[in-house]
Amino acid sequence: MERETLDVDVLIVGGGPAGLSAALHLARLRKSCGGEPLAIAVLEKSRESGSHMLSGAVFDPSALQDLLPDFEARGAPLGPSVREDRLLFLTEHRALRFPFTPPPLDNHGCYVMSLNRFVRWLAEQAEAEGVDVFNGFAATEVLYDGDRVVGVRTGDRGVSRRGERRATFEPGVDIKASVTILADGVRGNLTKTVLRRMRLDAASQPQTYALGIKELWDVPSGRLEPGTVVHTMGYPLRFEEFGGGFIYALTPERLSVGFVTGLDYRDPLFDPHAMFQRFKRHPRVAALLADGQLVGYGAKALPEGGWHALPRPYLDGALIIGDAAGYLNSLRLKGIHLAMRTGMYAAETALEALRTGDASASQLRMFQAKVDDGEVRRELYPVRNVHQGFGHGLLAGLAYAGLSILTHGWWIRDPMPGHAGHERMATVSAYHGHRAARHAAADVPIDRTLTFDRLTNVHFSGTRHDEDQPVHLLVHDLDLCRTRCREEYANPCLRFCPANVYEMIESPDGPRLQINASNCVHCKACDIMDPYQIIDWVPPEGGGGPQYDGM
Amino acid sequence: MILVVAEQRQGELSHTSWEAVAAAQQIDAPVTAAVIGSGVGAAAEALAVADLAEVLVLDAPALSAYTADGWVQALTGIIQAEQPTLVILPHTYQTRDFVPALAVSLDRALLTDCTRSVRRDGELAFSRQMFQGKLMADVVPLGPPPHLVTFQSGAVSADAVVKGASPAATRAVSVAVDAAAIRQRPEPAFQEARNAVDLSKAERIVAVGRGIKGEEHLESVRRLAAAMGAEVAASRPICDAGWLPMDRQVGSSGQTVTPTLYLALGISGAIQHVVGMKGARTIVAVNKDADAPIFEIADYGFVGDLFEIVPAMIAELEGEKTAC
Amino acid sequence: MNIIVCIKQVVTREWPVRVDDAGAWIREQDASFEMNEPDAYALEAALRLKEAQGGEVAVCSVGPQRVTQVIREALARGADRAIHVVDDAGVCVDAFTVASAMASAIKDEPVDLVLTGLQSDDQGFAQTGVVLSALMGLPHATIIMDVEVGAGRVRVKRELEGGWFQWVTLPTPALLTVQSGINQLRYATLKGIMGAKKKEVRTVSVADTSGARQRIVALYPPEKGKHTHFIEGPAPAAAKELVRLLREEAHAL
Repeated sequence: MERETLDVDVLIVGGGPAGLSAALHLARLRKSCGGEPLAIAVLEKSRESGSHMLSGAVFDPSALQDLLPDFEARGAPLGPSVREDRLLFLTEHRALRFPFTPPPLDNHGCYVMSLNRFVRWLAEQAEAEGVDVFNGFAATEVLYDGDRVVGVRTGDRGVSRRGERRATFEPGVDIKASVTILADGVRGNLTKTVLRRMRLDAASQPQTYALGIKELWDVPSGRLEPGTVVHTMGYPLRFEEFGGGFIYALTPERLSVGFVTGLDYRDPLFDPHAMFQRFKRHPRVAALLADGQLVGYGAKALPEGGWHALPRPYLDGALIIGDAAGYLNSLRLKGIHLAMRTGMYAAETALEALRTGDASASQLRMFQAKVDDGEVRRELYPVRNVHQGFGHGLLAGLAYAGLSILTHGWWIRDPMPGHAGHERMATVSAYHGHRAARHAAADVPIDRTLTFDRLTNVHFSGTRHDEDQPVHLLVHDLDLCRTRCREEYANPCLRFCPANVYEMIESPDGPRLQINASNCVHCKACDIMDPYQIIDWVPPEGGGGPQYDGM
Repeated sequence: MILVVAEQRQGELSHTSWEAVAAAQQIDAPVTAAVIGSGVGAAAEALAVADLAEVLVLDAPALSAYTADGWVQALTGIIQAEQPTLVILPHTYQTRDFVPALAVSLDRALLTDCTRSVRRDGELAFSRQMFQGKLMADVVPLGPPPHLVTFQSGAVSADAVVKGASPAATRAVSVAVDAAAIRQRPEPAFQEARNAVDLSKAERIVAVGRGIKGEEHLESVRRLAAAMGAEVAASRPICDAGWLPMDRQVGSSGQTVTPTLYLALGISGAIQHVVGMKGARTIVAVNKDADAPIFEIADYGFVGDLFEIVPAMIAELEGEKTAC
Repeated sequence: MNIIVCIKQVVTREWPVRVDDAGAWIREQDASFEMNEPDAYALEAALRLKEAQGGEVAVCSVGPQRVTQVIREALARGADRAIHVVDDAGVCVDAFTVASAMASAIKDEPVDLVLTGLQSDDQGFAQTGVVLSALMGLPHATIIMDVEVGAGRVRVKRELEGGWFQWVTLPTPALLTVQSGINQLRYATLKGIMGAKKKEVRTVSVADTSGARQRIVALYPPEKGKHTHFIEGPAPAAAKELVRLLREEAHAL
């Protein structure tokens, strides 16, 4: 089979804020040094820049100010400045406002924006600097020379559901680069294999994750002033569960409403999507959404482990940046600026590697030094134990978060022991005993006005995949699903997947797992939370996935 | 005066011509109809039973076979001579082929694929689907009359044609059609089975969803479809299970269809399916669950077991045939 | 053989379409866009003709800056160059204004065939191609399944209704509107995407259009809450009643 090959100087896998900042910064640095333009390629699986981007988003512009000081003149679509922060503690019927905003949630100087629009703009900036942004190409394999990363292979296109080549078959391309920057996002499919193969996370705590589910709503004008930022704690979660809700006002008519839940819950019957629906039914939230209209839906995991869960981000020939590595401040609920910042560090490191002709791990270690000496450590290290603190429940976590700010993160045990989230899930019998096994808040009335079922929600994510392609969710032991998992955990995939990908179908031969792969919104929750770790999320054919317009 | 341009093939009027007459009669009187072609006297006479001011006939050898250029020449001549205020045509493949060029030739507005006429602030507007049936639009033609409007097949019932007390007069019109100026050289039409089903062109569809339970029940659904003259389609789970090929799938990841009749058997009505079929003119839903969302868009509903109603419908339809 | 393919940028099928505040058009600012699917088949047909016959494929698109998305995609798939009729003010609103703008933009192009999709996925008037042919004085044929190229002529297979087809011969230059699904669309390759950046995109500003021929006065979701006529009773009686209603009331059987 003839495979197209492409040689570039720097290859960036993933066209999100991290990858595009790396590309843009590199191109601009090179230009300012007066050298020949570099061949910089960005691979992105979504069919358009920004299509798979999902965040709240409250954006800290600090990295952007350094990346593109004239961002305003360039028309950066940042949305309104944050005018007011509100932190609410919800009980089932009431909302108590915290009398003051805890410093990490003070968003003064930040913007409320659509990450989708922002990344689309960032891609335009990068392309204008000569970067090749290849949308619709999924990287499926890391290419090595020994243990040195030399590039990636993109996925074959035009393969049928049964794995046969269709008439339009187009083999994947081998892209080779002096430096490969992995910016494939939270639980990135390539980063995952690299971490495993090179044991880059051996000295780190297991990464922990949360799942964010978000809807965009158009509401009658004036419910919230643009730039209003509301965060909630408490209901509908119980003290043992980590997470909370958010409502951001983008315009007088448009609200971004979402709910984040830790993917480290114990109750196997917990249902993040149901929690979000229940959150919207809270009187305070429902009042904001009354007579409004759902216009968009999406879900995405986010890395919450913080400083101690960061892997070694450099290896021979490659760097790992942004959410792929886990540069996210879970206390401030922000990662975009850190993704961009690490992208810039990677650009500086890669440029030096090209200059010296040395892209070995010892050279690329420069990236770590930049992290350690700069904004990233300054921001992440003091809050290093926060999420682990929440592992002990909301109250402990809150107390801990407060104490962390006072002690700059020092705590009795440092680092606090963390567990991979899926390991915390208890079996149904262990958690519920012989009680009628159901989660207290799992049944939510679905009225298709305020609350929606998963399938209807997926429709609003704009998700599309070519139907005739192999299933991209590899479940390595389907038998286990119908036997042990059903028995022990009551198939939690039915609940943690926010897109109705997994279904148990009753058939004459007993229950069987059906995988509706084309519903997948690429959130990665299944890859993360499956208690047996037998689900492997691999990229579907490039171009498939959600279309998060304005999200 | 409203002019209806009827469509004939081999001298036989198409069903859609009657629909166009009905649509015109519902807008205003008087209505005149025109039939063009070669050897179309009988078609004109057939048309004359409708309540029409008159039936115009253009019989010319150059019009023996349909060509876009021939039709544009002929109809430009007729319309310029007769000066109607509005010209109504059926939205068929043949009309689609020539009517935009006719509009350019006349330098007049054209609205295509309309489903009804409406008055908006005294202005005559026409409704039509847009964005693949997701929205309706009321559109007004601009500029001097006559405006050209085509009506979607099935949008207005042919049964609504008002018949005249006595046959309308037919009048032969003379428009010179220059055969040498016709650039298309058509060959005889031929029939061919399409390789793939094209549900978007099906007039009737019987669709099955998860309620069908097992592949073995498809046989009776096929039989019902045959009795109804319908294509078989399905919602996504059926095609995912491999019970029907993917080209039978209706919905956001399959085809968008707008048949005259859509019979949904055991389909709950998830939005992914509904966006692909809600443009159907008449929707019938059969579901066990009275709260299934499919009933929100159904014209006729039966809450009950599809395994009972399907055989009963087959018996009803096939029984009639044998009775005939 | 010199071929011009007219392509339109339309909102994606997945976009849950929203009406703007004025109630006469969609909220374009919220939409995502893609190449009109029938036009993609027209482009594919043109690329295959070029591969067989030699020559050149140019694409032409009318619209604001955002249509460079579909122009780039067409160039990445293999079109040789593009003509962008820039319409930032959005004056090209109907088939007549769009076709007029295209006709004046390509009037000096050497062309043997102009291809368009048979209709657009947004407004779906199925007019632009034929109006363009009339404005350019070209012969045309619509809903084309197949094209055979001869000297100074093309023989094309038209789809008629009800499974009927017909071959028609036309002198070139001619305009054809292409049926969807007649071929399988190729993927853009990495090299194609890189190459697209170097290809010529000629921009033309909208010449005087003779004014629109139609205006949308209202755009709205189809009437909801249809009254559902529930049929009661045991299956045999219900089946009888349903068949009767479908025949006599709905005229659907």
